[in-house]
Amino acid sequence: MQLIGDSLVIGLTEHAPLVLAAIGFALLYRLTGLMNVAYSETVTLGAYFGMWVNTTFDLNFYAVLLPAGIMAGLVSVGTYFAVFRPAKRRNVGTLELVIISFGLSIFMRYGLQFVFGYPVRFYDVPPPDTLRVLGTGVSTFRLLALVSVAVVSLALYWFIQKSRLGLQIRALASDEGLAQASGIRPLFVTVLIWFIAGVAGGLAGAFYGVGSSVVPFLGWRQFLFILLVVLVAGKRGLGGVIVVGTATGIALAALTLQTHQAYYAQVILIAGFVLFLKWRSKRTAEAGKV
Amino acid sequence: MNLDWLDAFLIYGFFTIVVVSGLGLLLHLQLGLARIANFGVVGFFGIGMYSFGVLYVKVDWPFGDPWQFLVCIAAGTLAAGLSGVVVGWLVGDLNEDGVLVGTLGFATAVFILATTEKELTGGAQGMGGLQFPYDVGGVKANELLWLVITAAVVGGIVFYVWRVHRSPYGRLLVAVGSNEPLARSLGKPTFRTKLWLFAVTSAGMGLLGAMYGVMERFLRPTNLGVDITLAAMVALVLGGSARVWGAVVGVVLTVGFFDIIVQNYLPVPVEWYSQALPVMREALFGAALILVLMFRPFGILGDMRRDKLMRSLHGD
Repeated sequence: MQLIGDSLVIGLTEHAPLVLAAIGFALLYRLTGLMNVAYSETVTLGAYFGMWVNTTFDLNFYAVLLPAGIMAGLVSVGTYFAVFRPAKRRNVGTLELVIISFGLSIFMRYGLQFVFGYPVRFYDVPPPDTLRVLGTGVSTFRLLALVSVAVVSLALYWFIQKSRLGLQIRALASDEGLAQASGIRPLFVTVLIWFIAGVAGGLAGAFYGVGSSVVPFLGWRQFLFILLVVLVAGKRGLGGVIVVGTATGIALAALTLQTHQAYYAQVILIAGFVLFLKWRSKRTAEAGKV
Repeated sequence: MNLDWLDAFLIYGFFTIVVVSGLGLLLHLQLGLARIANFGVVGFFGIGMYSFGVLYVKVDWPFGDPWQFLVCIAAGTLAAGLSGVVVGWLVGDLNEDGVLVGTLGFATAVFILATTEKELTGGAQGMGGLQFPYDVGGVKANELLWLVITAAVVGGIVFYVWRVHRSPYGRLLVAVGSNEPLARSLGKPTFRTKLWLFAVTSAGMGLLGAMYGVMERFLRPTNLGVDITLAAMVALVLGGSARVWGAVVGVVLTVGFFDIIVQNYLPVPVEWYSQALPVMREALFGAALILVLMFRPFGILGDMRRDKLMRSLHGD
């Protein structure tokens, strides 16, 4: 019973940014069908931007979230205009686009070290208090982060599922030609999606960064799980991403508590997810047989 | 033999060129022919390196070098080949997204195990005790001979790749890469072909990893960074992913430029060597990958001769 409580509390508080990052990645994936590896750098840049605003202007962590998210969103839009849009116009294939995004990811990851320097950086935040939730000690900061991530995730979910612009986004993702014929401006909506995805990734990065440290590999270390969450959630939309992302966080916490080694938990979960994808692809293939 | 004239950095630079060429050639079979983007090259490389290292250093063998060395390097190659079969089975019938996840996940798992299994691998501190299976007099002479042996192995890989290009198996790989459902509908065993491809190329990557470990003589998880996969991929794409010599040309232009020309001959400030140069190298490799795929997708050497011929006969 204690294990369940601990897993819930630790999983939800520690891995909450994963849900946010996965929502941003899923938006892009659904619209473009692209596995954008460079999304990991949007997460990293969010952490760096937040740290930079926090330490340069001496702002409270929650005050830096907005500028960090906006800056990451603008960079995301910038990558669309500089790389992905020209590539699409040149009819670059899907596989090549994935490799291009890998190249962009590497370029940004190493390029940002020229801007922000090589040392590990930290946010300048006061030491948090600790509260007991279900018998497990949690810092107030992590609890606030969980609430913030939940609010932002649900706001994004509402925006995509319920708002007029969200409807346009979903329409464009389903059928670009039909959406265009219905009066939807594809460029505006596409830019909006890249911006929202960037904001979500950047905010996730800021939460990751303030919880530990800011390093160039921050986003890359999370990327595999972001990818897995989105692929496993499959066609179930953003609700599915939120559910799978939350379950992943709890499972990671539970496995870490069981094995006493966070790395083992990651290996077990990676293997489990890949086996699930294999099983699902087989089932889909069987269902397609006549 | 007096080798004072030979710079040790130069041997290491050429060794890196040779190893990355080998990896690029094997990746060419996967990406260039079968259109499988293996983002986990370093995982297979690492399995070979660590399997060899652990067996060589930790097991008390009843016989010494060179047999101990040969048995361990064969075991490392076999371990990488077997892991290739497992990964190939997992991702063989998945789309590009699944392959990305499977291969990236595998490389991550290898890195994690190299870090956590301290009793076997020494963890983050690393593992020493590796040595050349011979002593021809001095470190430099031993390293030079190892460079020659590794170059001979990569020569063997070039020959194998060249043979594959001209074999029915090679044509089957191209068919799988171009239109897998069509190849399957014609009765071709596409899944088995991919599995065999993964087994052989992964074993080759593992062998190169073990040989790299011998040159390093001290294994650390930091040897298993994404830069290995990147170097092989950018070289292959730049040279021409569809051509046998594409990877070799690409490695000479990328790794050769940075690890030989820049590191040894350009008047670079000394303080750049530790951080600025490696960071600049990776950033430029990433940029090269984007630019080549956007503006010259077939690389410097261009498309396969038979595809060029078909286009000239039938149009695009």
